[in-house]
Amino acid sequence: MVPLWMYLVVAAGLFCIGLFGVLTRRNAIAILMSIELMLNAVNINLVAFWRYQTPDKIGGQVFAAFVFVVAAAEAVVGLALILAIYRRRRTVIAEDVDMLKW
Amino acid sequence: MFEVPGLGDLNVAATLPVTSLVLGTCILLIVDLFVPTDRKHITAWLAALGIGVLLVLALLALGEITEFGDGEEAFSGMFVADAFTDMINVIALITALLGVMVAYNYLERTGIQRGEYYVLLLFATAGVMFMGAAGDLVVVFVALELLSIPLYILSGFRRPQEASEESALKYFLLGAFASGFLVYGIALIYGATGTTNLHDIWQAAGDIVAGHKSGRFLLLGGAGLALVGLGFKVAAVPFHMWTPDVYQGAPTPVVAYMSVAAKAGGFAAMARVLASGLSNFALDPGEAAVWQDTVWLLAILTMLLGNVVAIVQTDLKRLLAYSSIAHAGYILIAVAAAGTAAVADEAVQSVAIYLMAYALTNVGAFAVIVAVERDDATNTGLDSMRGLANARPWLAAAMALFMFSLTGIPLTAGFVGKWFVFKAALAADLIPAAVVGVVTSLVSAFYYLRIVWLMYFEESEVEVSTPWPLAWAIGVASVGTLLLGMLPYILTDMVREITLAFGG
Amino acid sequence: MEITVEAIVFLVFSAITLGGALQVVLTRNLFHAALYLMLSLFGVAGLFVLLTAPFLAGAQVVIYIGAITILIIFAIMLTPQVTRVLKVHHTQWPVALALAALLFVGLVWTQTPLADELGADGWSADFTVEDPADVPADSLTDLGKSLVDPERYMLPFEAASLLLMAALIGAVLLVNRPDDNPDAEAAPAAGARPDQSG
Repeated sequence: MVPLWMYLVVAAGLFCIGLFGVLTRRNAIAILMSIELMLNAVNINLVAFWRYQTPDKIGGQVFAAFVFVVAAAEAVVGLALILAIYRRRRTVIAEDVDMLKW
Repeated sequence: MFEVPGLGDLNVAATLPVTSLVLGTCILLIVDLFVPTDRKHITAWLAALGIGVLLVLALLALGEITEFGDGEEAFSGMFVADAFTDMINVIALITALLGVMVAYNYLERTGIQRGEYYVLLLFATAGVMFMGAAGDLVVVFVALELLSIPLYILSGFRRPQEASEESALKYFLLGAFASGFLVYGIALIYGATGTTNLHDIWQAAGDIVAGHKSGRFLLLGGAGLALVGLGFKVAAVPFHMWTPDVYQGAPTPVVAYMSVAAKAGGFAAMARVLASGLSNFALDPGEAAVWQDTVWLLAILTMLLGNVVAIVQTDLKRLLAYSSIAHAGYILIAVAAAGTAAVADEAVQSVAIYLMAYALTNVGAFAVIVAVERDDATNTGLDSMRGLANARPWLAAAMALFMFSLTGIPLTAGFVGKWFVFKAALAADLIPAAVVGVVTSLVSAFYYLRIVWLMYFEESEVEVSTPWPLAWAIGVASVGTLLLGMLPYILTDMVREITLAFGG
Repeated sequence: MEITVEAIVFLVFSAITLGGALQVVLTRNLFHAALYLMLSLFGVAGLFVLLTAPFLAGAQVVIYIGAITILIIFAIMLTPQVTRVLKVHHTQWPVALALAALLFVGLVWTQTPLADELGADGWSADFTVEDPADVPADSLTDLGKSLVDPERYMLPFEAASLLLMAALIGAVLLVNRPDDNPDAEAAPAAGARPDQSG
């Protein structure tokens, strides 16, 4: 198999791309998508560590399953909020949603 | 299939406070369906009743009058039921009870009285309690989300008000971002130690340190990223920027609850992960834990920024937001002190003391704001305090007490909290942090006491509504603040048994 | 590392994952970004297959691609103005780039043999292992059992179900129009949500 560190580099890259997206995107939905990228990076990490280090203990996969659950819950709440705001303001740009300043 | 272990084997009884809260909440959710829309106060009553019963149970457990279950582990180490758990349970339930009382009339008069409010508040409370009892990083992560997601929704509860919805969106985006950091940090810790169980992590970290094994820096990175995630949740500088806006925009009763619950949960998680799981993670065996320096630097930044920026605020909710950032700084000093093995117990105990004092004081202060706030969410400026003493002497006295307590003036709970935090810091040789703590406390007197000045020495028309649940909440909070301040041994007795470090 | 079929497949999936992710954060059109997100998540599913985690790969496709991204696309289509926005990034993007790059270098430095190659011993964890032990044949059964085994992950599993319930209540609450009769709308909305949240 390819060495473990290669998976870790892919995960690190994915996480940092997501981080860049969160910090630079102005649209709330785009920020949410970037957060999903970060969570996926976590999952690659968890599964890779499980596979290469402790394949006999299922911990890493279980944790990844929990990350799925949390990601789903966050997406549902986040998109509901975004839709609620859009109905009134006709905007989902994080910066414009900003009567209260950063 | 596997053998199904009995309730006794799992020690389910030890989890009684939180499991019965969860069960009760689910029942409440169903009962709420049958409560007519115009009589939602019944749901509030049921919620308050349930919390009250559990609070009695939690106090019995804390006072060691009854023991639930036997031993400190439940669900094979997933759940830890020790003195720290009991203390966090009490803090969470008191906050929830006050939260319900503060919200009751506010929801009524602003026309958002809905049963879901109380259900979500109880879910968040369960999140705090799980976090205090977490014995595994999986539980830390899920509990943190169980706390956060209801809080995002509650922040946006005052629909169709724009400020409320926007604060919810901002809180959500920053919170989800922070969770990403936390869980990436957890993944790296898992990679370095091969486990998510806190006790096993402690052992693995000990091996890594003792053997100078590779992977020290990976563990360091994991701990650092997890700290970033938790730093967001407790509003530590430089991860604090969401706090003022969210506190200003969210409905005031929600802020009253959230400002305490999110902190209690975040610091409980921090205590479990750093002071317990990574307590022996030093670059050389026998030294203080590596995260200590980072944490006290964060503490200094947090105290400085929170207190200095609070001075120029003109909105009460924003002012208390910066004040809550500053208080996160004081608690961080205690967390940092826990990095020195010799004072670890004392430091964790001071975290618990501070959280308890902060819970009563801060909910009380926000409750006073709820009393002066108008139905359209205006009148939360500093001016709203002008002349309060003449019109409502008792309310003004309570607010003055809360302000004294937040400043840390003797005979209030806040003083006791600060005293033990600074004592732990000095014992751990964190002299710069302690000095900055004392100096910024003096600075904070300026803006807290200005509010007292406005209430007592200026005149203005005031319009205040204090229906009895709110009045009782303020009353309970002020009596608690005063009592714990004058009889500090109540608090020290409560926390005496707390020890988070693993032995052997 | 020799060039094997597996290595090539790994490189392809990694390229899909990272390339898709880059497009997600860079592309101007939000709808395209969502499609690239799908592509990227698909690449991650491929990596899961390579890591012998077929269940997670399936869950990735069903939950992430099938539910979450579709939900996001719904949201994008229900908020039509945004695709026409020209300014998509903050002006302080260089700072963000520097932060992300710094974190990436730090992670690579502590996780790959790069530091050792450059003579900085002790920085990196030893992750050069290429031939890990085989996955037990019953690992999928084990995963399923461990989630509901009271002695393993049942407690967080139950907590996660509470979390989903809270999210459900919140979503219904937030998109429920305040001027409508809450009794009339709550029931069908509550029924419709679980399909979307996966």
